[in-house]
Amino acid sequence: MSGRIGGFSPRALGAGFLAVAVTALVAWPLAAQGYTPPMYGQDFPLVGSRVAVWIAAQVHLMFAAFVLGVPMFAVIAEAIGIWGKQERYDRLAREFTRLLLVAYSATAIWGGLLLFLLTTLYPGLWAYLSEIFRFSMWVYAALFFFESATLYIYYYGWDQWKKGRAKIAHWGMGILLNVWGTIVMFIANSWLTYMMSPPGEVTPDTAPAQVQFWSAFANATWMPINIHRLIANAVFGGSIVAAYAAYRFLKAKTPEERAHYDWMGYVGNLIAIGTFLVLPFAGYYLGREIYEYNQQMGITMMGGFMSWLWIVQAFLIGVLFLAANYYLWIGLGRIPGGERFAPYTKWMLAVLIIGFIVWATPHSIIANREELAAMGGTHHPFLGVLGVMSAKNTAVNAMILTTFLSFLMYRRANKVPVVPWARTGTLTQGILMAVCTVVILFYGVYGYFVPAIVRIGFSVYQVLAVLFTIVAVLVLDVLISRGATSRGEIRWGEMPDRAMYALFVLMVTFTWLMGLMGFARSGIRQHWHVWEVMRDTSEHAATPALGFAAQVISVCTLIFLAMIAFIFWLGGLVEKSKLVPEEEVDPALGPLALKGDGDASDPGLDPGLDPGLDPGLQPVPGT
Amino acid sequence: MSSVDLKIVLVVLVTLAAYTVVASVIPQVESEVPMDIAFGAEVTPEELVEAGETIYRGAGGCVACHSESPGARGPNLLTDYRGEGLIGERCADRVPGLDCKEYLYQALVRPNDHIVDDYPPIMPPSDRALSQPQIWAMVAFLQAAGGEVTVTAADIPDEPGVATAPAPPPAPEPGAAQLADAPDVFRAQCVMCHQVGGEGGPIGPPMDRIGARLSEEELRLAILDPEAVIAEGYEDMAGIMPPNYGEILTPDEIETLVRYLSGLH
Repeated sequence: MSGRIGGFSPRALGAGFLAVAVTALVAWPLAAQGYTPPMYGQDFPLVGSRVAVWIAAQVHLMFAAFVLGVPMFAVIAEAIGIWGKQERYDRLAREFTRLLLVAYSATAIWGGLLLFLLTTLYPGLWAYLSEIFRFSMWVYAALFFFESATLYIYYYGWDQWKKGRAKIAHWGMGILLNVWGTIVMFIANSWLTYMMSPPGEVTPDTAPAQVQFWSAFANATWMPINIHRLIANAVFGGSIVAAYAAYRFLKAKTPEERAHYDWMGYVGNLIAIGTFLVLPFAGYYLGREIYEYNQQMGITMMGGFMSWLWIVQAFLIGVLFLAANYYLWIGLGRIPGGERFAPYTKWMLAVLIIGFIVWATPHSIIANREELAAMGGTHHPFLGVLGVMSAKNTAVNAMILTTFLSFLMYRRANKVPVVPWARTGTLTQGILMAVCTVVILFYGVYGYFVPAIVRIGFSVYQVLAVLFTIVAVLVLDVLISRGATSRGEIRWGEMPDRAMYALFVLMVTFTWLMGLMGFARSGIRQHWHVWEVMRDTSEHAATPALGFAAQVISVCTLIFLAMIAFIFWLGGLVEKSKLVPEEEVDPALGPLALKGDGDASDPGLDPGLDPGLDPGLQPVPGT
Repeated sequence: MSSVDLKIVLVVLVTLAAYTVVASVIPQVESEVPMDIAFGAEVTPEELVEAGETIYRGAGGCVACHSESPGARGPNLLTDYRGEGLIGERCADRVPGLDCKEYLYQALVRPNDHIVDDYPPIMPPSDRALSQPQIWAMVAFLQAAGGEVTVTAADIPDEPGVATAPAPPPAPEPGAAQLADAPDVFRAQCVMCHQVGGEGGPIGPPMDRIGARLSEEELRLAILDPEAVIAEGYEDMAGIMPPNYGEILTPDEIETLVRYLSGLH
C-alpha cells in the first residue's frame, strides 16, 4: 500500500489519532476540575444532533462489522486451504485480507467522527460514560495498535510464511487478529449495553464515580449482544464476500474468471446463510435477557410503539430466505443431477411464502381508533390468530428447515452414494426431517391451548428439534457421501447473471437489516440516554417513527455501500498497479491507468486472481 | 460506467427504496416523551383525569399490557374484570385496609406488592420513569373508570420526583437516625429500598434501630447473602435485594455499611 505519511500508514495514523483523541477527551472532564460540561452542545446543522450521531454510529458499525466479519471468513478459508490442501481457498483468504487494509481506515475515520460528534453534541453524556468506562476506553484505543500490527504481519507475511509450520504460525496470526477484534468489539459493546441496561443499583442520583466498573461493564445485555454481534458479523462478512464475487463474476471476461467468482460467491453465500440460520437463536437469547432485565423495555420492543418494526424485519428476513433459496435453486441447474430436484422447489417456495406471510402478520400492535374499527377489534378476526408467537415460531422454523433442505439438495445433486446403507441412510434423513416437521407443527398448534408462560417454553423445543435435525442429517449426509461417485463436475461459471443479482439483494438486505436492528436496540431506550438513569431532555428526545428511521437507515446503507465499492475498486487498482508492466501504462493517464478494460482479474494480470485455470483445482461437488 | 455497473446500482437502489417504502406506509408511531406536569392547588378532578389518560395511553406505556385483549399480560382495567367491574369500581375491595386511592398508588409504585391472581409479577415501578404528579394523575384516571375521583392537590407533592405515599410515615423522633448522616455508599446503594428516618424507599425493612436488632456479623451476612434471613413481614420481597453486593461493593464499602448500620440504635 502506498500513501504512507512520515513512515506511518494511514491505518496506524488513524488508530493513533483515535487513541490520543480518546485519551484527551476522557481526561478532559477530569482535568477541568470544578467544571461541569453542559448536557448538550449546539444542535448539529440541518439534520440535528440525533441524526448526525446516528449516521456516524451506524456507518461506523457497518464498517466495524465488515472488518470483524471478513477476518473470520479469511481464517476459515485459509484453514480449508491448509488442511484441505485446496490452494484456491488460501488465495481467497488473501484476496479479502487485502481489502481489510483499506476498510480499517474507513472504520477508524467513522469512529473518530462519531467520537467528536458525541463529545461536541452530547458532552454531558460523554463525560458521564467516560467517568465510568475510562479504563476500558484506554484499553480499547491501545488494542488498535495490536490489531493493526497483527493485520500487517498477517497480510504482508503471506508470501514469507507459506509452507509447513510457518504457514500454521501465519494462520495463528489470523486467529490472533480475530481475537483482538473480538475483544475490541466486546469492550465497545459494554458501553452501549450499559446505556441500555445499567445495573439495577444505579439510579439518577448515583454519581458516575460510584458506579462499580465491572458491574457496569458486564451488564445484563452485554453478553447477549456480544454473541449476537459475533454471529451477525460472520453473516455480514459472508454476504459482502458473496457480493464482491458477484460483481467480479458479472465483470469477468473469461470462463476461468467466471468459474472462480461463481465458486467464491457460493462459498460467501454458504457462510452467510449458514451462520444466519443460527442468528434467530442468538436473537431469542438477547430478547429473553431484555425481558429479564426489564419487562417494560421488552414489551416496548415487541408489543409497544416498536411493534411494527418487527413486521418490517419479517419482510426483510422473508426476502433473505427467498433470495438465498432462489440462488441455491438456480445453482442446481449447473450441477449434473440437480434437475431431479427441480420439481420439489415449487413446494419449497410455497412453504417459504406461507411462512413469510405468517411471520409478517402483526398481532400486538398499537392501533388507532380507525384501525381498530377496520379490524373489528384489537385483533383481526382471522389474521390475528396467525400473529401470535406460536404461529410465528412455527413459520420461522419451517423456513429454516426448508432452507437447509435446499442446501442438502445442492450437496447431493451430483453424488451417487456407494456405501451399502445409502438407501437406509437417506430414508433415515427423510424420517428425521418429517419428525422434526411434526414436532414443529405439534408445538405450534398446542401453543394455542396453553397459557403464555407455557407457550414461551415451546419455542425452545421447536428450536432444539430443528438444530438436532440439521446436525444429525448433515452428519448422516457426510457419511453417506463417503467415496461417492460423481454424476459430473459442477459447471462453475455457468450460473445465470440473475443469480448474482440475488447475491446483491442479499448483501443490501443484510446491511439494511443491521441498520434496522441498530435502531431497535437503541430506540427501545426511548427518551433515556441511559435507561431510567439519564433522561434525554433534548429536543430530539422522542424516538422517531419507522418511516423516518427507514430513510436514515437507507442513507447509512448507501454511504456504506458507496465506500465499500470504492474500497473494492481501490483494491483492484492496487493489484493492477503492481502487476501491469510499465510499458503498458499510458503516461498521459497516469501511473494507475491500464490498457484494455483494466479488470484486475484478467488472466495474466494477477496469478492470484484466476485460480480457476487449473482443472485440477476446480472445486469439487458440494464444497 | 458499464451496463453491469448500472444494473447493480439499480438493484441496490430499488432494494433500498422498497424497504424504505414498506417502512413508510405502515402506521407511523413515534415514542412519546412524558411531559413534566404540575398541578396548582385548584386542580379539578377533570383536569387530573384528562392528564392521567394522556399518560396512560401514551408515555406511561400502560396499554401494552393492560389492553382489552383476552390474552393481555396484565388484567383489564377499563373493562369489566371477572364480574368485578372496572378498576374504579373494584379498586377499594382489592386489598383489605387500603382504600381505592391508596391501593392504586401502591399498585403503581410497588406493583409487586399486590399481584392479581394468575398474572406474573412483571410490572416495573412507575416512579422510576414517571413523576409524582404524573402518577397521581393516573390514579385519578383509573378511579374515574367506574368510580369516584378522590385525588386532590393535597395528595400531590410540590416537587416532582419526591416519593410520597397516601399515608406518610410519622416524622422521625428528635435524635433519631437521619439519612443525611448516612455514608455515601448507603445513599447510593441502599436508600432506594430501605428507609432511614422516614426517608428512602419502602421496599425493604427500615434500617432505623437495625443496630439494636442485628450484630455486625449478622449485618454483614444480610448484605452479602440477603436470602439467608428474610425479615419478618417482608417474605414477599425475598429475591428483590441483589445477591451480588459482595462483587459490586469493595470490602471497605461493606465495612463502612456494617459500621454505620450497627450504630443505628
